[in-house]
Amino acid sequence: MLASIAHRASGMALVLFVPLYLWLLHGMTSSPDQYETTLTWLHSLPGKCSLWLAGVALVYHFSNGIRFLLIDAGWGESRDMMRFSALLVLVLAAVAALLFAWLLFL
Amino acid sequence: MRTVKEPGSAHSGLSDWYWQRLSAVVLALLLPLPFFLMLMVFSGGVDQQGLLDILDHTASRVLHTLLIMALMIHAYMGLKVILEDYVHMLGWRIPLIASMLVMMGGFGIWWLAIIWAWA
Repeated sequence: MLASIAHRASGMALVLFVPLYLWLLHGMTSSPDQYETTLTWLHSLPGKCSLWLAGVALVYHFSNGIRFLLIDAGWGESRDMMRFSALLVLVLAAVAALLFAWLLFL
Repeated sequence: MRTVKEPGSAHSGLSDWYWQRLSAVVLALLLPLPFFLMLMVFSGGVDQQGLLDILDHTASRVLHTLLIMALMIHAYMGLKVILEDYVHMLGWRIPLIASMLVMMGGFGIWWLAIIWAWA
């Protein structure tokens, strides 16, 4: 239940990052000045927070998506296994959140 | 019949289910790549020339195109299900789904234009 809602929330977040990614790509493939401007924004606080959020949403949606695929394939369908794998995915996302925070902010 | 309040006779349920999973597998393979690319640019591991070399490569253009197609299928179906679950008024739901599709089409074309542009 919680895993399904979190999957939707992280999916919505990822969709919202598509325009941002396009804006970044657009800026980075233009003139060297534009590239510098884009890179400066990426190193600003909003830029770092966006990258961090995109990373955490991606890791969660990715891991939980694989979990859903495995459940569809008939693996871990019992109530206990589904609870355990949902928790495992959350732990993975938490580890990724710490790792990205360390990568981006330190 | 009175209990059926949704017009659910499109018979596209299994097909939607299948496409959602097929696109999920493609995305699982491809979506981490642009994120790592952004991290590389962020860390300075790749400069602008390096980034352009990567993006200009035919393989990366083809992979990017596949990514855009899978992403549009996956995001359209995902958001459609969310809208169907939370927006109960058909007068809102159908225009919302339609405008979402139009916006996604627009972003998809913009994305393809960036990827296939001569740099």
